[in-house]
Amino acid sequence: MANNEFITPAKAARGLGSARAGTHDHIRQRVTAIALVFLVPWFIFSVISATNAGYESAAEWAGKPWNAILLILTAGATFYHMRIGMQIIIEDYIAKTSTRTALLILNSFAAIALFVTVALSVLKLWIGAGA
Amino acid sequence: MVQLTLPKNSRVGKGKTWPKPQGATNLRQFRIYRFSPEENGNPRWDLYWVDLDKAGTMILDVLLYIKNNIDPTLAFRRSCREGVCGSCSMNIAGNNTIACTKGFDELPGGVISIAPLPHLPVVKDLIPDLTNFYAQHAYVQPFLKTVTPNPEKERKQSEEDRNELNGLYECILCACCSTSCPSYWWNGDKYLGPAALLQAYRWLIDSRDEATGERLDDLEDPFKLYRCHTIMNCAQVCPKGLNPAKAIAKIKKMMVERVS
Repeated sequence: MANNEFITPAKAARGLGSARAGTHDHIRQRVTAIALVFLVPWFIFSVISATNAGYESAAEWAGKPWNAILLILTAGATFYHMRIGMQIIIEDYIAKTSTRTALLILNSFAAIALFVTVALSVLKLWIGAGA
Repeated sequence: MVQLTLPKNSRVGKGKTWPKPQGATNLRQFRIYRFSPEENGNPRWDLYWVDLDKAGTMILDVLLYIKNNIDPTLAFRRSCREGVCGSCSMNIAGNNTIACTKGFDELPGGVISIAPLPHLPVVKDLIPDLTNFYAQHAYVQPFLKTVTPNPEKERKQSEEDRNELNGLYECILCACCSTSCPSYWWNGDKYLGPAALLQAYRWLIDSRDEATGERLDDLEDPFKLYRCHTIMNCAQVCPKGLNPAKAIAKIKKMMVERVS
């Protein structure tokens, strides 16, 4: 809103009113956090041990069904959590509405692109291992 | 982008060093923010020597000593001088607090800086413009709302329900919490801030209030409520020892409760 001397304080404080939103993101951020408490330690431990023996054995490890499922779930929870976290940072620090909206869209695109990339890579190893 | 440095016309320059009072033995130096809209130029830090033996025991006593004995042009708000009115809130030695209950013995060593509450427009010297802060307080409608017709005598409440209001009703609206909150600094035009949200919770949890749902509706917003990132500066500075961050967490819990 333009900084107008005739705008009353009450009008400025009310702004465009309540968006009736935010609670779902608040819940999802916490739910993905709970999932990541279990997934991240598994991920770090497994990746370190799987990559110790070189590319071939790592690819074979990631192609096993349970590992592939958990890897895709880890990627999903991580990038969803990251998207909400980045959204909060952008909303905090970028005041200009047009820039903020553009960055929020870019943020969603980036999260989806990262998830699709990881998920397809793991699927390729899984399907490749089965063939 | 968020403003991380002061605009050019708000940068604080060097001001006047006032002479030491005659014959004083227990001297302490205070650095006080000075700004007057009637004078051209930026705000400045003035240095004052204060005789602690004659000034009393609290920071408000120091300010009154300066105003009465050294520099009558120093402007600040004060009223009750006992921590119930919330007028003399300011930034003392880097922390927001009320001057009337902050004693000398609580201060760190060296020169003590006294500035207006951070990140608000300054009216004069230590007086900030609290217009937006009060408008946000009005937004949460801090009064009882009911649809049930008035009872003959009084609206009753159990002792347990009354106890829920402890730690909430004591707020004196000094604005120490809201102006210590980085989230409020960056988005104070849209984020309601800890003080207004503490009062919002005080009415949300009141067993006699019948507008709980409408109140939650008015708060459910990514900016008005969810800008709180539990930084906890509010709880740290509150001169009444209240915990606005906890009240905000409880509002968020109510939000989750009604969708699950």
